[in-house]
Amino acid sequence: MGDLSLKTIKFINAQLLGRKRPTIEVVAEDQTALESSPVSMTFLSTETTEEREQVLADCQDLYESLKNTEVTLLKEFHKKYLDYPFNNALPKQMKALDASQPWILYWIACSLRLMDKTWLGEPVQRKIYAKIFAASLEKGPFCGGMGQDPHLVCTYAAINSLALCDSVDDCWSQINRQAIYDWLLSLKCSNSGFKTGVAVGECDSRSTYCALSVAKMLNILTTELCEGVEGFLLGCQTYEGGFGACPQEDEAHGGYTFCATAGLSILNSLHKCNILRLAEWCSARQTAEEKGFSGRSNKLVDGCYSYWVGAVNSLLEIHGYGSFIDKGALQEYILKCCQSSERPGLRDKPGKSPDYYHTTYVLMGFSLTEHLLEVTKQTEPISVKSTTNGFQLEPVNPVFGLPAEDVTKFIDFMSQLPQVC
Amino acid sequence: MTDSLFDAGDYNYDDVKALPISSDQPGELCQIMYDDEYREVMGIARALLKKHELTERALHAVSEAIQLVPAFYTMWNYRFQIVKQLHGNDAAKLNAELDWLDEFTLNNPKNYQIWSYRQALLQMHPNPQFPRELPVLQSMIDDDTKNYHVWSYRRWCVNYFQNFEHELEFASDLIARDVYNNSAWCHRMFVLKSQFNSQPPAELLTTELHYTKTAIELAPQNISPWNYIRGIHLEFLNDKFDADIITFASRFTSDIFESPASPPQILSSYALEMLAYVYAQDPSTHEKAKCAYQALSDNYDPIRKNFWDFRIRSLTA
Repeated sequence: MGDLSLKTIKFINAQLLGRKRPTIEVVAEDQTALESSPVSMTFLSTETTEEREQVLADCQDLYESLKNTEVTLLKEFHKKYLDYPFNNALPKQMKALDASQPWILYWIACSLRLMDKTWLGEPVQRKIYAKIFAASLEKGPFCGGMGQDPHLVCTYAAINSLALCDSVDDCWSQINRQAIYDWLLSLKCSNSGFKTGVAVGECDSRSTYCALSVAKMLNILTTELCEGVEGFLLGCQTYEGGFGACPQEDEAHGGYTFCATAGLSILNSLHKCNILRLAEWCSARQTAEEKGFSGRSNKLVDGCYSYWVGAVNSLLEIHGYGSFIDKGALQEYILKCCQSSERPGLRDKPGKSPDYYHTTYVLMGFSLTEHLLEVTKQTEPISVKSTTNGFQLEPVNPVFGLPAEDVTKFIDFMSQLPQVC
Repeated sequence: MTDSLFDAGDYNYDDVKALPISSDQPGELCQIMYDDEYREVMGIARALLKKHELTERALHAVSEAIQLVPAFYTMWNYRFQIVKQLHGNDAAKLNAELDWLDEFTLNNPKNYQIWSYRQALLQMHPNPQFPRELPVLQSMIDDDTKNYHVWSYRRWCVNYFQNFEHELEFASDLIARDVYNNSAWCHRMFVLKSQFNSQPPAELLTTELHYTKTAIELAPQNISPWNYIRGIHLEFLNDKFDADIITFASRFTSDIFESPASPPQILSSYALEMLAYVYAQDPSTHEKAKCAYQALSDNYDPIRKNFWDFRIRSLTA
């Protein structure tokens, strides 16, 4: 290996993306890089490394230029970005989200509420439940928009949106829990996962998490609904430690890992997965150079994983296993790379535009770095409160993806309602 | 239907009155400013859906709607009902539908809905063919080598047809193109676990370990093959590592265990991580494990300090 450690081997792929490319070996010497790094920079240059180098350069530039600057979360600035769609119609290109309308409401309302509880006032809460109910069959289950079919992940976003409304006008009592329950049962597949719709639709750890979250929130999570689900989710854990979409050795992925571990938390079964591998996988998502998380091995950093992966870490934390990430470094990525003083809203990475999706999950990830959470009921670690003072954002419940207080209120309310059958 | 923004093709829709697609209530939150074309196309498709019309002209209207918003899952559901009614048991017609879907897929590589629709079509098909699926999957992966949905669909297909013949080679081609492609590495594990009912033949494991070592020699600081080696041991070898694999990993960690006080430059932090994991399995090598974890924590991978310190604590406990 002596020769190798003196030289950097580079393989350059000469042709354009999308074609099979021959591999050309180039040997180069790069003594300075070698001496400065504890791990040798010996590497092959491929699509993966080329893309990462670009991102690294962008992040380094920002870290360098903001080196001596105390950066804080620009809450008032981001509020402008979020208030706009609640006061104006959306441009026509947003029709791409026409089948995801509850998501738009959830992302915006949740972001506002996290920054300041009072920023989501009663008039807006009224408009939220009116729009959510208009996009439903008989006030549940819920659809992507008016006149559309019910959809499981839209129902998840709808319930979370309603949970942000403080039961204004007693809207929580109006949710048709029985209809949602019957529909959820009809979505259950032979492998015990839940599919997104009755006719066609994917059945994976994401849709299955949405079913569990909705049922737990509404207090309709019966034994029948839960049967076999734990096995389905556990089957999604891979040799890498994270979880994939389906129990068929799908690649471990930040989003699906959140869905599976939050789902297992709802079932009170997180301890049944391989915790050590999960903790290791979680910690491996963070790299020293970018400071933020990637969603999979050898993929690029993305601000949304501040929540997806950060919440998995928080789940491990509230279950008593400890924290395996560097929260300070993650805050730095969020403040310096996901936020720009030029444009309100939060983004995936430098060079990308802000959007509602990233704004929410970056903010929720940031909140998880600020608060030390503790479970309010040891026997059922799904409800949390913060033990931290002096924070910029409200504490987030890492199981349901909502401000902790809203979850507690909603679940308490639903626990007073009669059982479904 | 003159002056219509809806391309009626060969069909007549004169009797169809477009349904409204929004409440148009004043003050509705996040109202999308639909353009006229969208209102008309989606309005017609919804009117047909409401009547539950399962005809060729309904299929055409659905195609037009899906072109405008590929994520409109309601139209995919409707499309499935129509195709089931019209072509349910007709292999040739279902193949034509798959042809349409291939083209749509190539133009909309990030879409979520295509894949479950495709699965539903194959499950309905009287005589589905695995080779029919391969070209579009090849082309999609060529353009986006880590496309999650495509890989996941491919695994579903391989399981469905129980045809594992091309899979290791397919993964090898992609690893030759980009040794850091973790999706391709995961696909190898899928083959080992699924084809052999979690008991792959010993010779195959030997070949896989050899293959992986070669890839590591090309690029030692690459998490994917190191995870794969550990995965093979975890899944099939009772998590027991032999002397060969320890010697191999040690080649990438310089003389770290001899001179922990003056940490040398090493070739792979993942090699050191694997050694630490292996040494942690046996009390007689716990000191070496601690030394490795400490070096990772202090020097080679300090951002993961919380994890390394956790490992050290569990060794001390």
